[in-house]
Amino acid sequence: MINIEQLSKSFGTNKVLEDVNISFEKGKVYGIVGENGAGKTTLFRCIAGLESHTGHVSCDYDILKNHLGFLPTEPFFFQRMTGREYLQLLCIARHEKGQDFDVKNIFDLPLDQYAANYSTGMKKKLALLGILLQTNDYYILDEPFNGVDIQSNILITEIIIKLKSLGKIVIISSHIFSTLSDTCDEIHLLKNHRFEKKVLKEEFERLAKEMKDVTIGDKIERLGF
Amino acid sequence: MRYYFSLQGKMLHRRFVEFGVQPLVGYALVVLVFIGLSLYLFNKIDFAAYLYVFFGLSSISALSERRRNEFLETSFSKKKYLATRTVENMLMALPFAVFLLYKIQLLLAALLLLAAMLMAVIRWRNSFVLSIPTPFYKRPFEFAVGFRKTLLLFLLALFVLFQAIAVDNFNLGAFSLALVFLICMSFYSEPENLYYVWIFAQKPHAFLFEKIRTALLYTTILSFPILAILIAFYPENMWILMVIQCLGYLYLSAIILAKYSAYPQPMSVPQGLLLGASFALPPLLIVTIPFFYKKSTEQLKGILG
Repeated sequence: MINIEQLSKSFGTNKVLEDVNISFEKGKVYGIVGENGAGKTTLFRCIAGLESHTGHVSCDYDILKNHLGFLPTEPFFFQRMTGREYLQLLCIARHEKGQDFDVKNIFDLPLDQYAANYSTGMKKKLALLGILLQTNDYYILDEPFNGVDIQSNILITEIIIKLKSLGKIVIISSHIFSTLSDTCDEIHLLKNHRFEKKVLKEEFERLAKEMKDVTIGDKIERLGF
Repeated sequence: MRYYFSLQGKMLHRRFVEFGVQPLVGYALVVLVFIGLSLYLFNKIDFAAYLYVFFGLSSISALSERRRNEFLETSFSKKKYLATRTVENMLMALPFAVFLLYKIQLLLAALLLLAAMLMAVIRWRNSFVLSIPTPFYKRPFEFAVGFRKTLLLFLLALFVLFQAIAVDNFNLGAFSLALVFLICMSFYSEPENLYYVWIFAQKPHAFLFEKIRTALLYTTILSFPILAILIAFYPENMWILMVIQCLGYLYLSAIILAKYSAYPQPMSVPQGLLLGASFALPPLLIVTIPFFYKKSTEQLKGILG
């Protein structure tokens, strides 16, 4: 379980998160939605311990980050580091030895080429593969489907479902609603610095319609087409 | 074009401010360090002028990075792009050329300026399909990445070594060994992306120990051939070579610890000065290494837990 209590985060005078409270349970997949700038990535970075914050984040272990696989929105790769070296680095960082990267290269990535030269989708797949090889208990996937081809999208969806069946906690953000409805048990709407709404699977359709109505409003008419 | 260069100036200005230095003091320091290092190089090394041209070209090549040039090419017309690139390459080459003129190396100065102009026109293709293999796969990333970036410098160190043996100049040979250590130290000059430290499930002391162990092991792999050749040719100077090797290890450890003592920020000016003082006066390392170690563990505690 991951438990978040009264988490708040500001950048200078800009308040991003305020008094966020939420619990994530084992064997469940959670979707986090919100507009651009709502604070999803900041929340993920706070949970991961990559941002300082007030409030409390706890889990079944003393140090959460040592059991967390974090897929950032835009993974960073050093110039002239191969995909294989990236996987090796992520594995030794978590004491995972003896992995056969060629066998586990499920996305058919060119592992001996420089990762920085990969396409956006390939970078995402490499970063995802890296945290999967670490065999974590918790996963935060920030936009895992972004820039990824349809075939890999299908594969990623199946991976998430498998992680759930293995009792892992998976937290995802995505701007593509269908990817969340296919995988999540709950979707939480982040708005005005905190979670404003929690929606269970049976209500996903209603949420999608509600979001569409609110988002579109009269904006298309305002363009004057 | 004027706006582009004023923007570059502003960005440089900001870098000094971020570094904690008054920009005017920063510019003065850069000029002084440049002149100091240039004088040192020409006083100590026989082939300094050639090395100097190499360093000049290396600095200019940093401006030829593919994505940077693609951005400039799409932002400016072809004429303006070429003009901008030529001017910035010439600006980068100018200090080196002026110093070569001061040393009455007219031909090399002219060649450097000509190369700078040509490098503005040449489009570099650095999207290699295959990567350069290295023996550093087991513990990425510093040496695997750094070695590929500085491969030419390693070749230069070997060239200097063979020149040293050819002209029977031990000092030049010792310089080639020191150069390998300097190159390896440069792998640790910049703080890496926070994610690459955060991923480690280690306590700060174990993390630092592993970083230093890897650095010493891989530096040994790179420096040992040069050391062995020098010992074979100059056995009477073996103790000097051992001192260089040991000092190299200590400096390398100090620079790693200094980097993480400020992490994730770049090293501050006082930290840089302290490190510089330790390099100039090695006995100071007895104090600075434990100091940087203590600071590093404190800094890393917040990231590694």
